[in-house]
Amino acid sequence: MRVPVSWLKEYVPFDEPVEDVAGRLVISSCEVDRIVRRGVPDTDGNLGRYLVGKVVEAGKHPNADRLQLCRVDVGDSEPRQIVCGAWNFGTGATVAVALPGAVLPDGQKLEQAKLRGEVSNGMILSERELDLGVEHSGILVLEEGPEPGTPLADVLPLSDDVLELENGHNRPDLLSVYGIAREVAALLGNELAPPPGADPPRADEEPVDVQIEDFEGCPRYIGRTFRDVRIAPSPPWLKARLVAAGMRPVSNVVDITNYAMLGLGNPLHAFDQSKLRGRRIVVRRARKGEQMRTLDDTLRELDERDLVIADAERAVAIAGIMGSLESEVDDQTTEVLLEAANFEPLTIHRSSERLRLRTEGSNRWEKGVDPYLAEQAAKLATQLLVELTGARWTGDVDKRHELPERPVVHLRPERTDLLVGLRTEPDDQRTILERIGFEVALDWNVTVPTWRARDVTREADLVEEVARFRLDDVPFTLPQRTVMFGRLTKDQRLRRTVEDVLVGCGLSEAYNWSLVPVDDDPRAIRLPEPLSADQAVLRTTLRHGLIESAQRNVDGGAEDVGLFEIARVYLPTGKKLPEERWRLGAIASGGFRRAKGVVETLHEALKVELRVAAAPQPFLHPGKAARFASGWVGELHPALLDGTWGMFELDLPTLYEAVPDVVHYEDVITYPPVRQDLAFVVDEAVPAGALIDAAREAAGDELREMRPFDVYRGGQVGPGKKSIAFAVTFQSGIKTLTDEEAADLRERIVTALRERFGAELRA
Amino acid sequence: MDVEALEREAQGAVAAASTRVALDEARVRYLGRKSQLKQALRGVRDRESGMTLNAARERLEAAFAAREADLDRAELDRALTEDTVDVTLPGEEFARGHLHLLTQMRREIEDTFLGLGYEVFDGPEVEEVSYNFDALNTPEGHPSRSPVDTFYVSDDVVLRTHTSPGQIRYMEAHEPPVYMVSLGRCYRRDTPDPTHTPTFHQVEGLAVDRTITLADLKGTLLYLARVLFGEERDVRVRTSFFPFTEPSAEFDVSCFLCSGRGCNVCKWSGWIEMGGCGVVDPNVFAHVGYDSERWSGFAFGLGIDRIAMLRHGVPDLRLHWENDLRYLEQF
Ligand SMILES: [Zn+2]
Repeated sequence: MRVPVSWLKEYVPFDEPVEDVAGRLVISSCEVDRIVRRGVPDTDGNLGRYLVGKVVEAGKHPNADRLQLCRVDVGDSEPRQIVCGAWNFGTGATVAVALPGAVLPDGQKLEQAKLRGEVSNGMILSERELDLGVEHSGILVLEEGPEPGTPLADVLPLSDDVLELENGHNRPDLLSVYGIAREVAALLGNELAPPPGADPPRADEEPVDVQIEDFEGCPRYIGRTFRDVRIAPSPPWLKARLVAAGMRPVSNVVDITNYAMLGLGNPLHAFDQSKLRGRRIVVRRARKGEQMRTLDDTLRELDERDLVIADAERAVAIAGIMGSLESEVDDQTTEVLLEAANFEPLTIHRSSERLRLRTEGSNRWEKGVDPYLAEQAAKLATQLLVELTGARWTGDVDKRHELPERPVVHLRPERTDLLVGLRTEPDDQRTILERIGFEVALDWNVTVPTWRARDVTREADLVEEVARFRLDDVPFTLPQRTVMFGRLTKDQRLRRTVEDVLVGCGLSEAYNWSLVPVDDDPRAIRLPEPLSADQAVLRTTLRHGLIESAQRNVDGGAEDVGLFEIARVYLPTGKKLPEERWRLGAIASGGFRRAKGVVETLHEALKVELRVAAAPQPFLHPGKAARFASGWVGELHPALLDGTWGMFELDLPTLYEAVPDVVHYEDVITYPPVRQDLAFVVDEAVPAGALIDAAREAAGDELREMRPFDVYRGGQVGPGKKSIAFAVTFQSGIKTLTDEEAADLRERIVTALRERFGAELRA
Repeated sequence: MDVEALEREAQGAVAAASTRVALDEARVRYLGRKSQLKQALRGVRDRESGMTLNAARERLEAAFAAREADLDRAELDRALTEDTVDVTLPGEEFARGHLHLLTQMRREIEDTFLGLGYEVFDGPEVEEVSYNFDALNTPEGHPSRSPVDTFYVSDDVVLRTHTSPGQIRYMEAHEPPVYMVSLGRCYRRDTPDPTHTPTFHQVEGLAVDRTITLADLKGTLLYLARVLFGEERDVRVRTSFFPFTEPSAEFDVSCFLCSGRGCNVCKWSGWIEMGGCGVVDPNVFAHVGYDSERWSGFAFGLGIDRIAMLRHGVPDLRLHWENDLRYLEQF
C-alpha cells in the first residue's frame, strides 16, 4: 500500500517530519518499507521555478513544422518565448511552465536553449514530465482561473512523499489512506477528519434492480445508477494521487472507483448500465461451465464455487476480482451502475487462487472488508461522479442481510499490565482505545468499531491494542523463576559427543536436504507436489546426500574428503506419520579401514562394545561390508563413486541405548600385566574376531586384551591358510599373575582355538 | 706462604679460564697433587694453619665446579644454536574435521537457553496439519496454509513450516511451568536462491509461568541478541500479527555492522529483522488445556541459517547445503 503524504494530511494534518511519523507507524501499526520522494525535487528553491503560465500567442515555428513557437505570460513584465512540441493547446490556454534552471522530476536540469534558431526560455510541461500522470502526447492544460505567475505548487501537487507500507494479513482497515490516517491521528494525538464523501442531492428516483441470491458470499450490495456521464480523463489532482499511490489513471469513472478504494479501503466497480441485459444485477454462484472474458481479455472458466455478478443473462464480473470486458465502461458510456458491495473473504480467496488472478480488489476482499464501509465508499464515489463527470445520480438501492453486531468485549485494565509487564493507567488505556475508534463504557465493556470486528473479539485482543502503542516503553526483564530445569537429555549430550569424536577423526559435518530424488525404500514418502524432481522423496538413508557431497568436493578439486551428517530419516510406517529416526552417516576417502576406524573410535569413545560381522549390501564392495548392532560399515561399491571410499551409517538411538550411564573404575595399575605375542595359523575363512571371542571365553577376565597386529599369508603357512598374530595381555585386578598362571591362561587359549578352529600356534 | 695471595691468584685463573682445557690446566696448577696448596697442606703442622688452608681449598674447589658447570652449559647452548629450525615453518599436521556452522550456531543458542534454565525439545518434521496450523490458531484461508507456501504430504499431513507445533506437543505432555527451546529443520516452498532455501532451521522458544510478561520476552530477546551479536546490541519490538500470539510482534536487533548508523545490510534503518514473537494466544492455551487466567507465556522464533549468514557474512544461504570443504573448513 502506497500512501501519498499530501493525501494523508487531508485526513490528519501533522507538522512532524514524515520520517518520525513513519518511525511511529513501524512500531505500532505496520511495516514501512521506505519513504519515496516523488515529483519535482523540493530543494534550493526549485519549486519556485515552476509557474502557472498563460499562452498569449501560439503559432508554427518558422523553421520547424512540428514545433510551436509560443509567447507565454508567467507574470513577468514581458511574456517569454517558449518552443513547444505539442499541439493540444492554443492561445489562451493555462499551462504549467518550468523556467531555465529548474530541476525536473527525472533529475535533468532545464537550460535555456535554442531550438531551430529560436530561443526557448523555459518549458511547457506534460503531466508525465511532472510525474503526475502517464499522458505525454500533449502538454498539461490547466483549468482556467489561477493568475499567470502563480506558483505551480499552489495548483498541483508537484512534489510529494509516499509511504510504502507493508500490510499484514489481519488488518484490512490499514489498506486505505483513511485507515492509516486513523493510526497516525492516534499516534500523534491529532484530530482525525471525518471520513471523506457526502451524498449530493439525488436527481431522480429510478428503481435499481439488484437481487442477491447468495447472501453468504455477498452480505451487502449497494447499487447506484447515474445518467449523463461524460467519460473524460480525470483532473490532474486526481491523476496525481492515483499515480503516487501506484495506480494507472484510466478515465474519470474508473479513476473515481479506484480513488474511493484507495481512500477508504472498499473496492468498487462501475458497469456500463446500458450493457447490462435487463438492466439488472444478480449476485449468484457461477453456473457449471459458465465462461466469462475478463477485462484483461482472458476467457475464464468459472466453477460453481465462484461468486459472480450477473445481469439478467450472463456473468458480468467475477465478484470482487475483475469485471467482464463486455460490461466495461468505455468512451461512449453515458449510464453507469456503481457497485459498492461487500464480499465474504474465503470465497474471493478461493476464486482468486484458483484463477491465479490477484487484483487490488481481491487483495482487500480476501482479508475481510468492513461491511459497513460500502456506504461511505458509495458516498465518496457518488460525490466525485457528480462533481467530475457531470453525471446525474438517478437511482439507489442497498440490498443486505442483517449486518453483524459490533462486538462488546470486557477489558480488565489490570490484565493489560499483567501481560505487558508495564503499568498503563486505566485512563490512558481508555484514551488509546478511544482514539482508534473503540467505545469504552464506564464498566470497561468495550464496543469494537465495525472495521475491527473481525480481529478484535477477546480481551487479549484489546490488550494488544493498548500494548502496541506502548511497545517502546516496555522494559527489558527476565522471568521470575520458581522452578529450574535447564539441562540436555542424555541423547542430546551424546549427540554432541558423537559430533566431537567425528570431528576429531578428521571428518567435517555436512547438511544435506531431507528430500532426495530417489530413495532405496520403494515405500518412502513421496510428496504429491514436490518443488522439483530433485527434492521429491523423504529420505530413509543419509547415504545418497553424502555420496553426492563427496562427489561435489572431488569435482571441486579436493583430495582428502571426509564428511559426516547427523540428521533424521523418515521411515514409512503405514500410519499417518512416518517414524523419524536420528541417523549418523559418513563417507571418507581411504576405503574400508578408514570407515571402520571411525566406527571403532566412536564406540570406544562412548564405551560401547563393537562387534561386527561380514554382511553384504547392494551398494557396498561385496568383500568389504559389515554389520554391527546399530548399522553398517563398508567400502562403497566403486560403480557408485570413483575412487576408494569408506562409508557407514548407524541409528543413533540404538547406539545411545548401549552407552553405559556410569563408567566404573577397573584396576589396571596395581598389578603388572604379562604381555605375549601369539600367532595362529587358521583357514582363510576364519575371522580374527571369532578367534578373540573364543579366547575370551576360554581365558576369562584375566585376558585383558587380545589385539590382532599382523596377518601373514604365504609359503610357510600353506595354501588356503593365514597366520594371524595377536598381542596378548594377561592381567588380574587382585594379584600379580605368576609365570605358571600366565602359562595356564595361554594354554587354555591355545587349546580352545585348536579345538574350535583347528588353529595351530606358530612357534 | 701467602695463602690469601695464592687463593686470589687461583680465583683469577678460574675466572679467566674460558674453556674446559684451560680450566683443567688451572685446576692441576692450583689444586693438583703438586700444587703449592696441596704441598702446603701436606706439610702443615698446626691446627690453625691447617684450617685456613682447607678452607681455601674448599672455596677453590667450589669455584672450579661452578665455573665448570657454566662452561658446560655455555658449550651445550653453543651446540644447540647449530640445531636451529625455521620457526615459521608449519608444525605437524593433524587431520581435524569441522562442525558445520549451523551446528555451531545451534550449540551456541542451546547453551544460551540452557544457561537461562530452558530445556531443549524437538517435535516431528513431518507433522499433522492439526498441530502445524489448527492448534496454533491459524484459520482456514490463512496464506501460510496454502499449498503454494507449504509442502503437503497428504490432506492432513505437512512438512512442518515452523518449529511451533513442537510447542503444542510439549505442552500437551507437560504441566506448566514450561521453559523450552526447539531447534530444527523446517520446510517452505521457496525456490532456492541466495536468500531462500526450501529447508531451513528455526529456533523457537516458549516460556509459560505464573507471571510471564511482554517485558520478560523483551528481556530474553535482548539477552539472546547480545549473546549472538555482542554486548552493545539493542533490541526493539514492532507490532505484527501471528495467529498463535496476542499481542504479536517482530523483533529487530540494532545493526551489528554499522552500529545503527545505516548500511545496506540493515537497509539504512539501523535495525536488522530477527524474527517473530509475542504473548501466547489464549486459544493456544485452551487447545492444550492450560488455564490462561493462571498461566501466561511468551514465544518467539527466528531463522538460524539467516542469522549465521548475516553474522558471518556468508553471501548465499545455499552454501550451507553444498558441503564444500572450502566453506566448511572456514568455521
Ligand atoms: Zn547497518
